[in-house]
Amino acid sequence: MVRPSLAVRLGSLELAYPTLMGSGCYGSGAEYAPFADLSKVGAIVLKSVTRAPRLGNAMPRLVHTPAGMLNAIGLQNPGIDWYLERELHKYADRPCKIIGSVAGFSVDDYAFVCERLAARDEIAAVELNVSCPNVDREGATFGCDASLTASVVRAARATTTKPLIVKLSPNVTDITAVAREAEDAGADALGVINTVRGMAIDVERWKPRLANISGGLSGPAIRPIAVLAVYEVAQAVKIPIVGQGGIETVTDALEFFLAGAAAVSIGTANFTDPRIPQRIVEELETYLARRNVASLSEIVGKANVAFSTPHQYEGDEG
Amino acid sequence: MPEEMATTSHAGVYATRVIERRELAKDVVLLRLDAPGLAEATRPGQYVMAIPPSGEAAATALAIYEAEGKRISLLFFIMGRRTQELSALGSGDCLSMLGPLGNGFDCSGDPRDAAIVAGGVGIASVLLCAQALLRARARVRLFYGARTRELVVDAQRFRDAGCDVIVTTDDGTLGMQGMVTDALALAPEPDMIFACGPTPMLRSVARIAADRRVRAQLALEETFGCGVGACWGCVVALAGDSMQAPNFPGAARGGSDIAYARICREGPVFWAHELRW
Ligand SMILES: Cc1cc2nc3c(=O)[nH]c(=O)nc-3n(C[C@H](O)[C@H](O)[C@H](O)COP(=O)(O)OP(=O)(O)OC[C@H]3O[C@@H](n4cnc5c(N)ncnc54)[C@H](O)[C@@H]3O)c2cc1C
Ligand SMILES: Cc1cc2nc3c(=O)[nH]c(=O)nc-3n(C[C@H](O)[C@H](O)[C@H](O)COP(=O)(O)O)c2cc1C
Ligand code: FES
Repeated sequence: MVRPSLAVRLGSLELAYPTLMGSGCYGSGAEYAPFADLSKVGAIVLKSVTRAPRLGNAMPRLVHTPAGMLNAIGLQNPGIDWYLERELHKYADRPCKIIGSVAGFSVDDYAFVCERLAARDEIAAVELNVSCPNVDREGATFGCDASLTASVVRAARATTTKPLIVKLSPNVTDITAVAREAEDAGADALGVINTVRGMAIDVERWKPRLANISGGLSGPAIRPIAVLAVYEVAQAVKIPIVGQGGIETVTDALEFFLAGAAAVSIGTANFTDPRIPQRIVEELETYLARRNVASLSEIVGKANVAFSTPHQYEGDEG
Repeated sequence: MPEEMATTSHAGVYATRVIERRELAKDVVLLRLDAPGLAEATRPGQYVMAIPPSGEAAATALAIYEAEGKRISLLFFIMGRRTQELSALGSGDCLSMLGPLGNGFDCSGDPRDAAIVAGGVGIASVLLCAQALLRARARVRLFYGARTRELVVDAQRFRDAGCDVIVTTDDGTLGMQGMVTDALALAPEPDMIFACGPTPMLRSVARIAADRRVRAQLALEETFGCGVGACWGCVVALAGDSMQAPNFPGAARGGSDIAYARICREGPVFWAHELRW
């Protein structure tokens, strides 16, 4: 039996494996190197970096919740200058691709950071984390507004020819509208989805559990939300999708591929067991081989009616 | 190897096996494990991230209580889902874990008269420290506080090792009634303090140490995400010039000279006088 191919392309970015390690969940990879084989990883998405250094939020920053966790780290990072000067060169010897992640508080921030990051050889592609408040427009989240998202993508696009992945927020009424705008503005791929907003309250102390009050929910709790988002976005755009949200097993990953994702991203599951990404890749190979499928790309979107017949939306049941 | 990787060179994923499970008190469990490789690499104050066998929750941070030969043990209180799951393990069961993690206590300063302060489950972090100090021929006093008599677990283990044990309970059912830090404040001055327990206890230890100009090492506890330094979910504020402060400029809070360090990576043990909490 021939070994099925797991290689994927996101624009001009070629990955040996269809697995990205989610931004903010995997450090720079060094933190996980003692526990995982980084050569069995498609790419590591670095923690989001901003124009100026950020100390991040006060503690507590994390709460474990049923089937997942809430986080409000607050983008703690050393800022782009220090990052380029003192950090990035250390990542050059990773046995997998490195994707930079950019966060910002104005359109100009995104362009500024993206340009500098993308110019570096260590960086194979750039992900735009648009789940940040826009300080120029009363804190509206970029990713929650299709035209704001488009402005960010256009500005970043103008600075580089390297692949741009736009990571969409699920905290919107219609994620497909944002997805289309991002595609039109020049995105090479879409990350679907970032964390879902949520909060938890300490009933003994009558206070929110996170210092930041609200946080981003990740883990299996958000998986069905993410699968549907991928399914719908896949119908709306032609560019590849990186599916994510609560992937812990090969079955979970397959749900995303079958919904229409070309690749998947694994974040919180690393906190359960750092061996999970490698296990998923191995079991994916077995799954495809068992079905005589030569390449992962053949099953992308196979459960998505839009990939065979025109899809008619008939409303949710129940 | 890049410098950042060198710091965790012994750390790895270890498949351990339960040799013995004992219930030391209601909801307090001791698991003794066959852990070749991990046991030998462990230093006092280090911890593991135990991977829940069901794979259905994040890994749990637990101190390495004992490390002898090829065996370690974990001592934990059943607090919620994850410790519940670990408590169901029995002899022969497998338990995978990441470890040994964290910087641990610095027992090298040749203290002659050490005070160890443990509150509740904090006792799990200090046995190896006590043993190392005793081996270096220090006098070791253990100040051990718990809510009530039943929750004073394994004190005899410390006595047998050669510690003077001073017990306090909140309700006075064993030892002195009151807080463990009250006992510490009343006792003759040690030349070094090592402590692990709830944050209010540690703050109080830090104050006592400052008043008496004694150096103190505190093992901090927080909710962990990754437990390996990847997520920045577990930080504590340090003086910017601390050797343990991560070397980066995001450090400055409102212009003041403070750095957020990761408890899991730069800690969990910090010098009390460097904390800015
Ligand atoms: C470095 C380090 C070393 C440690 N070593 C040890 C050790 O040796 N032994 C040990 O016993 N522990 C130790 N701990 C603590 C241990 O990691 C935690 O107790 C454990 O992770 C709890 O996990 P859990 O899922 O069982 O409980 P969780 O479900 O996480 O609950 C923990 C606590 O929060 C409360 N809680 C959770 N959710 C809610 C809610 N919605 N509303 C109200 N209350 C809530 C629970 O009642 C409980 O008191 C250590 C921690 C660290 C960081
Ligand atoms: C602790 C933590 C920190 C995160 N930080 C970032 C970040 O800096 N930038 C970003 O784009 N996404 C960040 N994320 C989101 C993840 O990359 C991922 O998209 C999300 O958690 C959903 O996937 P998962 O359920 O597999 O974790 C973070 C998630 C967690 C849990
Ligand atoms: S728990 Fe993730 S950095 Fe400490």
